[in-house]
Amino acid sequence: MNGTLLFQAVAVSIFCYLGALSTPWLLGLTGGWYTITRPLVSGMIVGLILGDLKQGILIGVAIQTVYIAMVTPGGQMPADLNFVAFPAIALAMLSNASTEVAVTLATTIGVLGTIVFNLYQVVNSFWNHRAVAAIQEGDYRKFRLNAIAGPQATNFISRFLPSFLVVYFGSGFAKTMLDSMPQYLIDVMSYLGGVLPAIGIAMLLTAVVKENSLFLFFLLGFVCIVFLNLNMIALTIVAGVIAYLYYTGSSKKGVVTPNGVVDEEDEEEF
Amino acid sequence: MTEKLLDKKTLTKSYHKWMMYNLVAMSFEFLEAMGFALSMEPIADKLYSEEPEKKKEMMERHTAFYNTEPQVGALINGISAGLEEQKALGNSGITGELINSLKIGLMGPLAGIGDSMVPGMLIPILLSIGMGLSSNGSILGVLFYIVAYNCIMYFGSRYLFFKGYELGAESVDVFTGEKAQQITKAITVLGMTVIGGVAASYVKLEIPAKFALTGTEIDVQAILDGIFPKLAPLLVIFFSWYLMAKKNVSPVKLIMLYFIVAFAGVGLAYLF
Repeated sequence: MNGTLLFQAVAVSIFCYLGALSTPWLLGLTGGWYTITRPLVSGMIVGLILGDLKQGILIGVAIQTVYIAMVTPGGQMPADLNFVAFPAIALAMLSNASTEVAVTLATTIGVLGTIVFNLYQVVNSFWNHRAVAAIQEGDYRKFRLNAIAGPQATNFISRFLPSFLVVYFGSGFAKTMLDSMPQYLIDVMSYLGGVLPAIGIAMLLTAVVKENSLFLFFLLGFVCIVFLNLNMIALTIVAGVIAYLYYTGSSKKGVVTPNGVVDEEDEEEF
Repeated sequence: MTEKLLDKKTLTKSYHKWMMYNLVAMSFEFLEAMGFALSMEPIADKLYSEEPEKKKEMMERHTAFYNTEPQVGALINGISAGLEEQKALGNSGITGELINSLKIGLMGPLAGIGDSMVPGMLIPILLSIGMGLSSNGSILGVLFYIVAYNCIMYFGSRYLFFKGYELGAESVDVFTGEKAQQITKAITVLGMTVIGGVAASYVKLEIPAKFALTGTEIDVQAILDGIFPKLAPLLVIFFSWYLMAKKNVSPVKLIMLYFIVAFAGVGLAYLF
């Protein structure tokens, strides 16, 4: 038994539960899923637990790019970000993987994790029916028991257990695996880690771009970084000014060209 | 509205319950219904403290299938609270069916607005700034994200909830009206620009191909860097977008495709 590792695995897994989509204790979605389960934040938390804050943040930033724009409409998930954010980042750190290899590792675990999430939702149907029945009986204590306690017990098990097993037993395994892996595979994973963020960004574009002219702004941001070497804050300020001009421009009616904004809004309304 | 049955304390309690429990018991079958019912419980307690049958009726109404973007969707909880109050006051125009159909009617549009504004725009923008500040391993960007996001969401959703309560059924126009759409578009422009920057900073692809032609070595990446550095990442992004948006290729399939390409590409590079 490795006491330090045991403690680290338990701590990471508790955060994994706290950051799950369905956990209420950190003001629900807001402080959990959308705050500590962002790899940027979880990288810091895992880094603190494992005793290397800086490396944790660096890996968190690298993995965050892949998932920068994960929208989960109707609870449909392309990857279980919660398992990416905690066990996967911990595993990557414990096995001293490079950031690119960490990205690939995390993505794989994330895709596998969706199975657990879907299972959780199926089990909740059972609790839901009991909760509705409790209201029909007028028993509100029983309602809360079946609407909060039952699902959360299920949620805890489905988050803590896989996370703990992966971190506690996986770290030794992953390190040996990475050490004995041929350079060829490491190279493949490194390339893949560099390219995977493109998928995250493309997902965001798919969700947001309703008209192709918006790509001009995307290109503008891209060029500002590549050629003008702006940093992210300067770029945000530039983008804010442009958005403001766009807003004031689109508010004045009659000035806009036939293909402009006013036209499109009319189409949407009728 | 002259008469009021609900006080600020009850409404705040209802808001907090919604924010905590919105996804608490989510299943494919009911999604956020249990969370909605939990948030309506303080309201029902207050309105029908003397009438258990009516309380039961109201609670049952709110266990129906429900799904929206929870944080922006707090508006609907506010509206429902306002309508339930009017109903309890005996306003005959407001029936259980009306409240339910308004909920169902609003949850789609608000999910659309919410998903594109919050995880689609606000979070990527804040994350980009945070990642920029933390790219050297500094804790500053992480803290910035935590504080900025939670403050905006807590107070923003709270504002929407109370605004929804105040306006009751009238609020629909205000939040889906023309001005709101212009603001949404301007924020989309802001988001697109920032995301372009994120793409340039974080997608990495270099082509290590070098050819020896008539004695001089040709380095493909060096030539590309001379024309448009980062051209390869840009093309990969557009290619991914094209496959996902136009050809309905799933992200998982795309990951597998890139894995195969990387596998073959590195293999090819080893041969030379």
